[in-house]
Amino acid sequence: MLEIKELTKVYDDGTVALKNVSFTVPDGEFLVIIGLSGSGKSTLLRCINRLIEPTSGQIIWDGVDITAAGQEDLRRIRRQIGMIFQQFNLVKRHTVLTNVLTGRLGYTSTWRSLLGLWSRDDRERALRNLELVGIADKAHNRADELSGGQQQRVGIARALMQAPRLLLADEPVASLDPATSHSVMKYIEWMNRERGLTVLCSLHFLSLARRYGTRIIALRAGELVFDGRPEEIDDRRFKEIYGEDAIEVEIR
Amino acid sequence: MSERSFYVRWGRYLVLIALAIPLYIWSWRTADINLIDLVQGAPKARPIISDLVRPSLLARERVTLSVSTVVRVPCDGPAPEPPAAEGPTVSLSATCLNARDPLVVSGSGFRPNTPGRLYWRVAGLEGRLRDEPFETDAQGRFTVQTDIPPLLAQQGGVHALDVELKWEAGTLRPSETLRTTVDKMIETVFLALMATTFGGLVAVPLSFLGARNIMPATLWGNTLYVAVRSFFNTARSIEPLILATIFAIWVGFGPFAGVLALSVHTIASLGKLYSEAAENIDPGPIEAIRSTGANEWQVIWYGVVPQIVPPYVSFTVYHWDINVRMSTIIGFVGGGGIGLELQRWINQLQWNSAATAVWAIVLVVSAMDYASAIVRERLV
Ligand SMILES: Nc1ncnc2c1ncn2[C@@H]1O[C@H](COP(=O)(O)OP(=O)(O)OP(=O)(O)O)[C@@H](O)[C@H]1O
Ligand SMILES: [Mg+2]
Repeated sequence: MLEIKELTKVYDDGTVALKNVSFTVPDGEFLVIIGLSGSGKSTLLRCINRLIEPTSGQIIWDGVDITAAGQEDLRRIRRQIGMIFQQFNLVKRHTVLTNVLTGRLGYTSTWRSLLGLWSRDDRERALRNLELVGIADKAHNRADELSGGQQQRVGIARALMQAPRLLLADEPVASLDPATSHSVMKYIEWMNRERGLTVLCSLHFLSLARRYGTRIIALRAGELVFDGRPEEIDDRRFKEIYGEDAIEVEIR
Repeated sequence: MSERSFYVRWGRYLVLIALAIPLYIWSWRTADINLIDLVQGAPKARPIISDLVRPSLLARERVTLSVSTVVRVPCDGPAPEPPAAEGPTVSLSATCLNARDPLVVSGSGFRPNTPGRLYWRVAGLEGRLRDEPFETDAQGRFTVQTDIPPLLAQQGGVHALDVELKWEAGTLRPSETLRTTVDKMIETVFLALMATTFGGLVAVPLSFLGARNIMPATLWGNTLYVAVRSFFNTARSIEPLILATIFAIWVGFGPFAGVLALSVHTIASLGKLYSEAAENIDPGPIEAIRSTGANEWQVIWYGVVPQIVPPYVSFTVYHWDINVRMSTIIGFVGGGGIGLELQRWINQLQWNSAATAVWAIVLVVSAMDYASAIVRERLV
């Protein structure tokens, strides 16, 4: 269970990105975070694995206070939390395989990893994960030779390498076309249903949120303005979240 | 456009032009621009320019033939026996003489129509004394008259007389100048390589201190950042020529002074280029690697290094090219390499030789330019 307690983030320049956000995520949930651009979705996700240091508040995961962890403990926590990104964030000049293998860095000693001495087990696991996302044949291509959808699948394979219990996905399909979006979302859904991962995923399109989420929270200017089941978002709620002038667009 | 704004706009241009005209008149005078000299002086530059297009490249090998005989001066003992020799023969009118006595030297069996000269090897002295020149006739014979130099009498004893012929023979070979140029050009390229290597090695760690996104946003981080960046900017603006002068005094004339001068310049130049490249890397992969639980070393090795290697290598190659160009000039103030020879040849008005050096520089610099462009293209 992941508990977020009164999380606040104020950036150095004074921007308040999160204001007293609290919610709880039971294991196995597919939680979708929605909200306008700039509402604080990325900040929230990055606070959970402390890529961004929260200003105040607590994040407690299975009884462990992530916000209080020291560097060494933090790394041990991070390696159990997979993360995928809107811009995929692959190392362009490395091969697909190497990119996937970096998912094991948290489990590999410094000198072995600096020399590229990955264990046999890790290599086999990397190939298996690439097969799982359907791009085993691209293992030895440079990462930047792949299409956007393929790159995001490499990102998923990299996260799978961590054998994570929690997956953070920051607008994983915002750079992809609708059809590719669904194929990527289906992998995430599969991780949630078959592998039992808890998923926190921010999305732009409400239609995608409704289709994949088991629960939705909404942020508006850093504040939590909605927390409930997808079907509870009616026209009034929608306008609360996205503003008076917004109209819902569908993505199929 | 309204009438008013039309006048405002043209009024502004007129003011600009009115300011620019005196500025240019003044600059023209200060720069001492004189087009008449440019045209009238052209004939004076003609010989230099015509030499510059005919660099010294090839020469035939010079063959030297030397036949020796002996004389006693002053004549205070028995006349020495001439050494027995095969081939061309030399005969003297006398072999025991006194100062200022006339001496007739004749020879036969030499190479026809070839210039030669007499040299004295005075007993008890180093070196040779130059005497009369001559030229052999179509049959390979010559006769030359000279007087015994007084120095021989002063030293006393048996002295050797060399009859020496010189001619060019065989195939064309690289001239002395060309060989020196190639030698010094290689020295220049390696001098530049050393300077680039030293400079680069120091610049890499410094560049991290000079990159905003790498330095922590603490007081210490900022101070260090500003200090390193100021050093880059200051050191970059000092001409390598000035640095070379200082180092030539410091460690003595020669390539080492040049290496030091160029190294300092390279640290500053590459440091700045490297830091800017480091500031431009994509933070995305870094945060992705960090999110897997990697430690700082792993983050640097897998997230930072792959992103900075291509720009760093390409800037380094580019700077090697710049350093080759600079080290050709640095020799002028004692920094070694081709510059030193070039300066010597210019001072001795040996324009053919100077031309060889100039062309060599042009050739090497453009080759490096081309090669570095290819390397950089491959890396992107
Ligand atoms: N490093 C930073 N320094 C200062 N302000 C920041 C920083 N990062 C984000 N912000 C600000 O914090 C607020 C929340 O940003 P965040 O990126 O979390 O929003 P988001 O919901 O992810 O938006 P988007 O949908 O565009 O990705 C915005 O106002 C943003 O300008
Ligand atoms: Mg975002």
